[in-house]
Amino acid sequence: MSKEPGRVVLAAEDIVKTYRSGERRIDVLRGVDLAIREGESVSIRGESGSGKTTLLNILAGLERADAGRLFWQGEQVSGRSLNHLAVRRRGFIGMVFQAYYLVPELNALDNVILAGRIAGKNTRLLRERARALLARVGLAERVDHLPSRLSGGECQRVAIARALINEPPLILADEPTGNLDERTAEDVIDLLLGLCRETRTALVLVTHNAEHARRTSRQCRLHLGRLEA
Amino acid sequence: MPWPLQIAFRQLFPAGKRLPFFTFVAVVGVMLGVAVLIVVLSVMNGFGNQIRRMVVDTQGHVRVDTGGIIYHYNELREKVLAIEGVKAVAPFAQGMVMIQHANRPGFPVIQGIDPRHEAEVVPMERFLKSGALEDLDDDSILLSSGLAADLGARVGSEVEVYSPLVLEKLKRDEIFLPQRMRVVGIFETGWNQIDTNSAICTLRTMQDLYALGKGVHALKVRLQDGVDIDEAVARIQQQLGFPYRATSWLDSNRDFLFVLQLEKNMLMFLLLFIILVASFSITNSLLTTVVRKTREIGLFAALGARTGQVALCFCAQGLFIGVLGTLFGFALAALALHFRNDVIHAFARLTHSEAALLRFYQFANLPAEYSAHDLTVIAVATVIISTLAGVLPAWRAARMRPSEALRSE
Ligand SMILES: Nc1ncnc2c1ncn2[C@@H]1O[C@H](COP(=O)(O)OP(=O)(O)O)[C@@H](O)[C@H]1O
Ligand SMILES: [Mg+2]
Repeated sequence: MSKEPGRVVLAAEDIVKTYRSGERRIDVLRGVDLAIREGESVSIRGESGSGKTTLLNILAGLERADAGRLFWQGEQVSGRSLNHLAVRRRGFIGMVFQAYYLVPELNALDNVILAGRIAGKNTRLLRERARALLARVGLAERVDHLPSRLSGGECQRVAIARALINEPPLILADEPTGNLDERTAEDVIDLLLGLCRETRTALVLVTHNAEHARRTSRQCRLHLGRLEA
Repeated sequence: MPWPLQIAFRQLFPAGKRLPFFTFVAVVGVMLGVAVLIVVLSVMNGFGNQIRRMVVDTQGHVRVDTGGIIYHYNELREKVLAIEGVKAVAPFAQGMVMIQHANRPGFPVIQGIDPRHEAEVVPMERFLKSGALEDLDDDSILLSSGLAADLGARVGSEVEVYSPLVLEKLKRDEIFLPQRMRVVGIFETGWNQIDTNSAICTLRTMQDLYALGKGVHALKVRLQDGVDIDEAVARIQQQLGFPYRATSWLDSNRDFLFVLQLEKNMLMFLLLFIILVASFSITNSLLTTVVRKTREIGLFAALGARTGQVALCFCAQGLFIGVLGTLFGFALAALALHFRNDVIHAFARLTHSEAALLRFYQFANLPAEYSAHDLTVIAVATVIISTLAGVLPAWRAARMRPSEALRSE
């Protein structure tokens, strides 16, 4: 599946992050370099506590690195305020979390639409697109169900639809199958990889599962604060 | 609807689930506060306006006097009538007398009126419970309902009237005979102060009783509808000049009206505390909600929400509770005021206090009048207070760091 290398969607250079809890310093990231190209999928593995979530949050602009530079579509965004990053993130990054993070008061459809509304899009157009996406992830019959009436796998499908509603060029997924049984996990990964390929969306997939990791176009390991190929 | 408002609304009223206890308690708290405020203030308004109308109906809008006796009152009357804004003028004389009927004495305030003009200023016909105004002549008298009851007198009874001049005559060893008068009517204004102890006779009789000659004490003036009272008073004063004094009923009852307004303002202020207390419980519950919703706050950030929008999710909950509480409060107050007399009479019957109610509150029925001004103040204050109740929780939510919010368990 080798192709012409696309443009760089996201680039991180020499990212450093240190946490201080009391006297102790935890050097979580000690200089991470990463470039994601259009449409490619990258898996990141690493032990628990190795800093995978921290890295993803920094790439997503939810948290600021202590040092290093971050580029979104060529624009340097490190150093900008979190509010500025939030606005830029809307159409640029879709996120998928281990625990789904659906809004419990909203049904599946409204959960998907919410991401579009936050991005300031027209609700009528969103509604159509959200229905189509939910049908694509196999939940056409469940659009008006509240998350409490959906299984874990179904919740994660809703979350995937939500991540795609704004047609972002990049999806960051943090252990999206961590809470699912093996069979369901397989289906969800199939769906996620399939959809990203279809829509030429770049994907960063944090996972513990070596099988899943192998299915991405590039595999990395986060070890001792550095990213290894 | 902007999405933060949708989130706020859905958190208060989740679709397909039971109404959350928090929403119920918060809205009911605000509703009760609003309802109590409206009921109490409306009844206060009712009392105030009823008293105002009563005062104007019995005293007229303006009183013109000199502090002594006015002799050329007919000329004066014409002069006042010609002044802009004046509708009617009636002369009167007033004093205390002793009345006796079947050995029962009474000491009423008696007013001598000119039957030709009085009805133009005071709606006497409306106050008359029995008898007829036309029957009032120089040998007859009208009694207030309370006085008639005290004396045991009815229409047709004969009463003896003693004027204070009896003392002068006694000093001079002159023979004094009381004036015998026939009761031709019983009146009741609805204003207890007047109804318990007053009487009305003709001006001529009063002039005899008080040895006024052809004089009167003062003129009552009724103004045309919508005329500004203070301006009219100033006009009358300016036209008449010394030694005449024009006083509005507002002036002569200033202390009373001031107390009435003060009471109302104090009540408004105190009752707003109910809403304040309700708003503290809103703040408290919303703070718990913010903690409970920490991960969603992180999610909103991940989806690209600015901190201001996250804050709005919680601030708007206070706003919604305020608006709903106000609406329900208005409805509850309207209901309570609609059935107020039934409630009060049932209560009075239960406690055998109907007579006391009448005596102390001067009115048999509880008056109530809405004031647009009061309703606006209540609604605006309530919505502002409950929106402010959401500010602290909103600020807490906005201050959360997205990455940490997402990590929270
Ligand atoms: N806010 C924080 N304060 C202190 N330490 C933190 C904080 N967030 C994460 N850490 C620590 O940073 C390390 C990396 O965490 P994380 O990125 O969640 O790892 P992973 O996702 O790979 O399991 C862990 O040791 C964790 O305890
Ligand atoms: Mg993690």
